Amino acid sequence: MTSPRPTYRQSVALVWRTLRSMRTALILLLALALASVAGSLIPQLPNSPGAVRQFLADHELLGRFYLRAGLLDVFGSWWFVLITTLLFVSLVACLVPRTRATFRAIRQRPVQARELDAFPSFRELVVEADPEVAAEAARRVLRRRGFRVAREGTSVAADKGLLREVGSLAFHWAFILLLAGVIVGKGTGYAGLAVLYEGETWIDAEANYDGQLRTGRFFGGDFSGLRLTLVEYADTFRTTGQPMDFRSTVEVADLQGRPLGTEVIRVNHPYRRGDLRVFQFGFGWAATAEVARGGEVITGSDPMELDQDPAPEGVSQLAMPWRGTIKLPGFEPQMAVDLEIWPDGRALLALIEDPSAPPRAMLQEFQPIARYRVWQGPLSDLSTHTLDTRFLESVPGASGLMGGGESHDLLEGATGVPASWPEDLTIRFADLREYSVLQVTRDRGVPVVLLAAILLLVGLLPALYSSRRKLWVHAEPGERGTTLKIGGFALQRRERFDEEFERVVADLVRVCGVQDAEPVRSR
Amino acid sequence: MSVTDWTRVANLSFDVALFSLIGAMVAGFAYLAFRRRALSTLSRAAGVLGAAACLVAIVGRGLAAGRTPWGNMYEYSLVMGFLVVVGHLVLVEGRAKVRTVAGFSYAFAVLTLAMATLFFDVGPAPLVPALNSYWRQIHVTAMISASSLLGLGCVLTMLYLVKERWEARELARLRAQHPLPIMGASTEVDAPPAYAGGADEPAAADPSALPPRGGLPAAATLDRLAYRFIAFGFPVWTFGVICGAIWAQDAWGRYWGWDPKETWSFITWVIFAGYLHARATSGWRGARAAAIALVGFVSLLVTYYAVNLWIAGLHSYST
Repeated sequence: MTSPRPTYRQSVALVWRTLRSMRTALILLLALALASVAGSLIPQLPNSPGAVRQFLADHELLGRFYLRAGLLDVFGSWWFVLITTLLFVSLVACLVPRTRATFRAIRQRPVQARELDAFPSFRELVVEADPEVAAEAARRVLRRRGFRVAREGTSVAADKGLLREVGSLAFHWAFILLLAGVIVGKGTGYAGLAVLYEGETWIDAEANYDGQLRTGRFFGGDFSGLRLTLVEYADTFRTTGQPMDFRSTVEVADLQGRPLGTEVIRVNHPYRRGDLRVFQFGFGWAATAEVARGGEVITGSDPMELDQDPAPEGVSQLAMPWRGTIKLPGFEPQMAVDLEIWPDGRALLALIEDPSAPPRAMLQEFQPIARYRVWQGPLSDLSTHTLDTRFLESVPGASGLMGGGESHDLLEGATGVPASWPEDLTIRFADLREYSVLQVTRDRGVPVVLLAAILLLVGLLPALYSSRRKLWVHAEPGERGTTLKIGGFALQRRERFDEEFERVVADLVRVCGVQDAEPVRSR
Repeated sequence: MSVTDWTRVANLSFDVALFSLIGAMVAGFAYLAFRRRALSTLSRAAGVLGAAACLVAIVGRGLAAGRTPWGNMYEYSLVMGFLVVVGHLVLVEGRAKVRTVAGFSYAFAVLTLAMATLFFDVGPAPLVPALNSYWRQIHVTAMISASSLLGLGCVLTMLYLVKERWEARELARLRAQHPLPIMGASTEVDAPPAYAGGADEPAAADPSALPPRGGLPAAATLDRLAYRFIAFGFPVWTFGVICGAIWAQDAWGRYWGWDPKETWSFITWVIFAGYLHARATSGWRGARAAAIALVGFVSLLVTYYAVNLWIAGLHSYST
């Protein structure tokens, strides 16, 4: 027999039923777990772009496949979004009917039952009290034990443990709230890095992030305009090089420049203003190296933020020198001076004395030294952070070491200096100070996400630990007195229920005065 | 006492704890094999001694480092070993009155301590700034407690699977007999025997009810006990992850960033959530749900060990 082609309606119903089934939910949960495993084993772009670049360089074919498949950004890939979406659709499909049923169950009074001896727990007693009186006593006993009770004449129905279902629903609905909080928060928010050297004022605006900014899809461009002035950056290290504290003292002012006070931003202690948060993220050194012509400074009068190369295996990052570049595009040919700053000059001197000695971590400023070298040729860009030497030639002899405050004749003793360059050029290592990297974030979803997390946890406890149970008591006139039939069952934690059942029976015996009892039957 | 004195006390106590627990483990297995009550008592006594020594080691470590002693993997493992033993003594032997599984619980604790001393042995040291937060105490305490509970639950799940297989085979064997044996209380395999004293221990008065030597508790008992541990550990794990997210919001500027440790704690959470759902789904109860719990156990171990040992991330505090 061939089954008829399902109608459109039937197909939709089938899909809906499949989505609602626990099996689908379980499979989706496992798929989510598997996707996350991939995300933790393969380097991820948002977390470690350096590792991803390395991976792409090492594995050309595999890397291209991973890139196509979204495996280098699993948690932002279309299929991760798909699994999550399906899971949430399945969740809602399950929750809507369950929620309706629960509301109905809460409104509805406990339903009477017949044939109490068919229930797993059953007891028959003969008591002295009248049926009416006994039923009323049973109602009161169950009420006091926290049951919801309905009495019809001499029949009593009671149930308990709706909290289990309510808790479970709260737990599951909390995920919808969580998702909403994440989408709204990330979607309308932004996160970026602000780099300020000591004394610098920085304003929260797109241009000032220097490209280190991520904005949400629905972000309207409304930056806060907050003004931050870095008064002081301080860090403390142990002699082992282990950091103890990073601290930025910041004067805060609003868009109009009205002061809002001085704040200390430390790791674990961000500055908060509304839904904007400012975190201590990193630090570095900013050097002022002025190039002057005939005693007149032509470039480099502002501190420039220096960068470090990643430390090789086994070497402390604190032992690495700091680099920056002065570029003079106005010269013909163009000129670049690359700088290597050693905040603790002893580290460089130790290295010069014994190049094989282990590099020394530079934990504080002490007699800083700047090493410079002059290049000529076409410049690829004007950034102070990078120097593309592919098209450049170093000028032989135009290099040297400077202490803090020292001034050098830039081209003294150099050979092969282009004739078109001026002769009276000097360089001065004018200043060295620290800069602080602050992370600025706005996430309006945080309170919602926190609320969802609390709801989730609060719902989880009754969902796991409370149990649904039902009890009935019938009082019938008998030959020797009133026959009291007690029956009931629990859907979970049955051993617990057996004890509770015993206690209810004992209460009834005490209240109604027992004449005869049959032992409890449990199935 | 000075820092070095406390370090010495902590190290000595650690060794005492390790050897006591090895003793407790051996006695526990011996009890399972030979069913002499003295062996169970010995196992329990060694377990109590081991827990006490762990506690001394934890306190000594804290005094030596001048902070709460859960700042690196060595210390986490030490606290986890302690909690596993306490969990076994209080919940398995105390509340559930199951004594035959002691060897397995202690084996888990011994392995945890052995991992600490083999792979993560570092001296007491101060913390990096990101760890200096009261959230560390809450988050780490919750995560270690949850790991201990879930770990014990998974050890019991493994035993359940073994016993369940054995019971199924036994039942098939009985069914194949001619004539069919009468299924009495003593051979009832789908319900735990209502023994007096311990849930897995026969009443002394009735020697015919003696379970065979080497016999584990009934599969149903193991299953229920395993479920209780996991149902206890799961909300604690959830709480710990939430605390971690709250802390990350302050320390790293975001509550969730798919850092490997975060990702794996999520994977573990998802798997155990799957286990709890599977138990409520017909057709998935029993061995299938247990298999999910075992996958969860592997994930728990990866979250706990592998992420720190092999995957670089923000949680690499092991050395």
